[in-house]
Amino acid sequence: MPGTDDMKIKIRLNVNGFPYETEVEPRRTLLELLREDFELTGTKEGCGLGECGTCTVLLDGRPIKSCITLAVQANGREVTTIEGLEKPDGTLHPIQQAFIDHGAIQCGFCTPGMVLTAKALLDENPRPTEIEVRRAIAGNLCRCTGYQKIVEAILATAEKEGGAG
Amino acid sequence: MGENEVWKLESIGCSPVRLDAREKVTGRAIYVVDLKLRGMLYARVLRSPLPHGRIVRLDVKKARTLAGVAAVVTGEDFPFSFGATIQDQHFLAIEKVRFVGDPVAAVAAVDLDTAEEALSLIKLELEPLPALLDPVEAMGPRAILIHEGLSQYALAPGIFPIRGTNICNHFKLRKGDVEKGFRESEVVLEDTYTTQMVQHAHLEPHASIAQVDRCGKITVWSNTQTPHFNRKALATALRLPLQKVRVVGAPVGGGFGGKSYLKAEPVCVALALKTGGRPVRLVYTREEEFGSAPVRHPARIRCKTGMKSNGTWIAQEMEIIFDTGAYADIGPRVCRNAGFSAAGPYQIPNVRVDSYCVYTNKPVGGAFRGFGIPQVTWAVESHIDRMAEKLGMDPVELRLRNAVEEGSLSATGQVLHSVGLKETICQAAERIGWGQNEKPLRGKGIACMHKSTVTPSSSAAYVKLNEDASATLMVSAVEMGQGVSTALAQIVAEELGIPVEKISVLFPDTDVTPYDMATVSSRSIFFAGNAVRRAAADARQQLLEIAADILEADLRDLEITSGKVFVRGVPEKALAIAEIPLGEAFYVGTRGRGKGRPVLGRGVFDIRDATALDPETGQGRNPSAFWMYATQAAEVEVDPRSGRVRVLRIASAHDVGKPINPRLIEGQIQGALAMGIGTTLLEQMELEEGKVMNPSFTDYRVPSSLDVPEMIPILVEEPHRQGPYGAKGLGEPALAPTAAAIANAVYAASGVRIKELPITPEKILEGLKKRRGNEKEGK
Repeated sequence: MPGTDDMKIKIRLNVNGFPYETEVEPRRTLLELLREDFELTGTKEGCGLGECGTCTVLLDGRPIKSCITLAVQANGREVTTIEGLEKPDGTLHPIQQAFIDHGAIQCGFCTPGMVLTAKALLDENPRPTEIEVRRAIAGNLCRCTGYQKIVEAILATAEKEGGAG
Repeated sequence: MGENEVWKLESIGCSPVRLDAREKVTGRAIYVVDLKLRGMLYARVLRSPLPHGRIVRLDVKKARTLAGVAAVVTGEDFPFSFGATIQDQHFLAIEKVRFVGDPVAAVAAVDLDTAEEALSLIKLELEPLPALLDPVEAMGPRAILIHEGLSQYALAPGIFPIRGTNICNHFKLRKGDVEKGFRESEVVLEDTYTTQMVQHAHLEPHASIAQVDRCGKITVWSNTQTPHFNRKALATALRLPLQKVRVVGAPVGGGFGGKSYLKAEPVCVALALKTGGRPVRLVYTREEEFGSAPVRHPARIRCKTGMKSNGTWIAQEMEIIFDTGAYADIGPRVCRNAGFSAAGPYQIPNVRVDSYCVYTNKPVGGAFRGFGIPQVTWAVESHIDRMAEKLGMDPVELRLRNAVEEGSLSATGQVLHSVGLKETICQAAERIGWGQNEKPLRGKGIACMHKSTVTPSSSAAYVKLNEDASATLMVSAVEMGQGVSTALAQIVAEELGIPVEKISVLFPDTDVTPYDMATVSSRSIFFAGNAVRRAAADARQQLLEIAADILEADLRDLEITSGKVFVRGVPEKALAIAEIPLGEAFYVGTRGRGKGRPVLGRGVFDIRDATALDPETGQGRNPSAFWMYATQAAEVEVDPRSGRVRVLRIASAHDVGKPINPRLIEGQIQGALAMGIGTTLLEQMELEEGKVMNPSFTDYRVPSSLDVPEMIPILVEEPHRQGPYGAKGLGEPALAPTAAAIANAVYAASGVRIKELPITPEKILEGLKKRRGNEKEGK
């Protein structure tokens, strides 16, 4: 029967720097936890099967598909969602600003996942080549932009920020 | 605002940052799927597992009594029908199911798990009927009827079904005398081309929330492209007055036509009417998107072309069969519009087109970027290249020889205006390096297109000036990523002399934002843009009247620039808009009178001289308010061992009339090119017995960042006298010529001519094998 409580597991995790403590059924996905329980609706669902990348969030800095990651897998770990990128004073992350400046956003549905994948790439490889950028975002589908301006935005961010840490 | 602050005027032709960029990039934009209403229930739909069948038994009793289930509906509870052109679709199936995915019953429950469990408790028994999966077979005189009641259905104007058949529209175009034309031709070629079934695959699925209030008013939050149409269609179907239905929009995560007309709303509303006021949310799963949501009409196009040996086009005959699936949806109009445009943007004295829209027991063919034009362009532009080869002429040369120009007569007898086609051909050819030496296994191909816009249609807008000199634009154009909100705001900015950032654009809400036909057919800049321009100009006029009163100047001597109203030639006599009393009357001086009042600009735009098309000849002087033209040139490389086609570059030249926001336009071209790569080389919905076998992104390959070539957008301006600042439209064109441009390039590179989309490595290898075989036999 759906909704039985006796199977819930206690988990503790950090989301965007904030500590959360909650109980979840073992089968609850990280996506459901973020969107439904924590009301962080910035992360979107495109397919529910881990095939489109729309639901990408960072788990300890690495991009993962939250729709096929269990909430319990995030226990004791650090989750970064799109909401966690801007500073408390509203200053945007350089990648976000670049997406805006380069016209890399159209319908916006792939954008949160795309931005986080880009962040993970630049955190690991501050000066990627174009092919490295394209490979990194190959798991994030976009039907609107043709990817051109997204790639330009990421490369521009690398150009501006690369090597600066 | 300080006196010395400089107001940056972003106007037409500039590319200001889009207004919704920040909220989208921070995850703050609220899509329909992000809305949570108190007491909200979640819906799941039981869909037919068979392509054609009679409902023998549908028992929902157990589902109804499951704990947590608030409502279960079936077709019997809901004998209402709707349809974008033919009223042939029920909210839920009644008596028959007509495709795999046809909704049969629906459940609203406290959560999705409960809803799914309820679905499993529903007993559905179907008596299978023979399924028609081939439109040619379905057209046959002895084919079983998919819609026995076709002759009783209500029809939109200009739709001509053939009684007693599965043909729900037959469009005819007869210009001149094609038989005579073929006799006069020196070279004649006839062949058939086909296009496959593809999916819009927007990343945001169809989503709808419906709630009925205590007075029986239904509110629907929907990611639809057609809010006013949906309101009317629901009200008509349910026999309610329009005021009892309200459709509210939100940012749409991609549409491409797939979110046009009623989609998820009917089932959602049906449930909401049974839950005692609790809202019901229905979101399609990705699997439902592939099969239960609309698809692009697969088409079969027979093309017969006759030319003189110097390349003058004498005659064109085409027969097009559009496979519209189980329900007509907007298919009949696709059939008609593609029908009258089918022969392409060329001056041809003798044209005969028969365009058929045929029911089959397959997913529903709906609006898909290009509206039938990608299909006919695939055929015509491949065919022209083959004619060029027969004539020994350069394909660019042959197109230029016959291309329409300002003042040319179209196939329906329209005198064409704003025709930048030749310029697009020259520019695309130049940018791809046409005629320059090719490396082996590489080739270049070119293809042109033209497209009409739905005519007549209309739009209206309000511009509300706020007391701080900001403005609110109220218009029902739907923002689905193309940037229409920003472009329309730029028009307001241009007319009112205030910065774009000071303009907010409301989401469509049929209770608030005035009528707009729909966000389809690349029509929004032209129609909504004109309405917005008139509304902003009206607001400007009202503002100047107040300013004239305050400045004690003649209205005709006033100008607005950079947020200030000036007396021309007297810059010191200026007033910031924010200082003009806009909502309040105040006294001036001790014996003063009231000055100032609210400013609300109003604008309406429609087409007064549109003409219908003659049912027998398809002739009409004004079936399209404007025409869009584009040419694409592709360079490809073919690997003869694997058959893989690598597209190296595509130049895409577009006559846009006048660019409102060049960067948004580039984005549209690039996005459409990527979609073109997909629909040409990678995408195909594979069906077996009417069931989609690849309903996921793993097996249906939408292009990724690694699949797109270098894209070269080129803008050509051939202003339209009725367009706002000369602008026309752009959303659809870039998708149409891509397939033929690539196919022509593949032919140039490998000698293999593909006539059936998609172009796959298997087909290339097959073609290469045949060529080698032919060469061996000395053919």
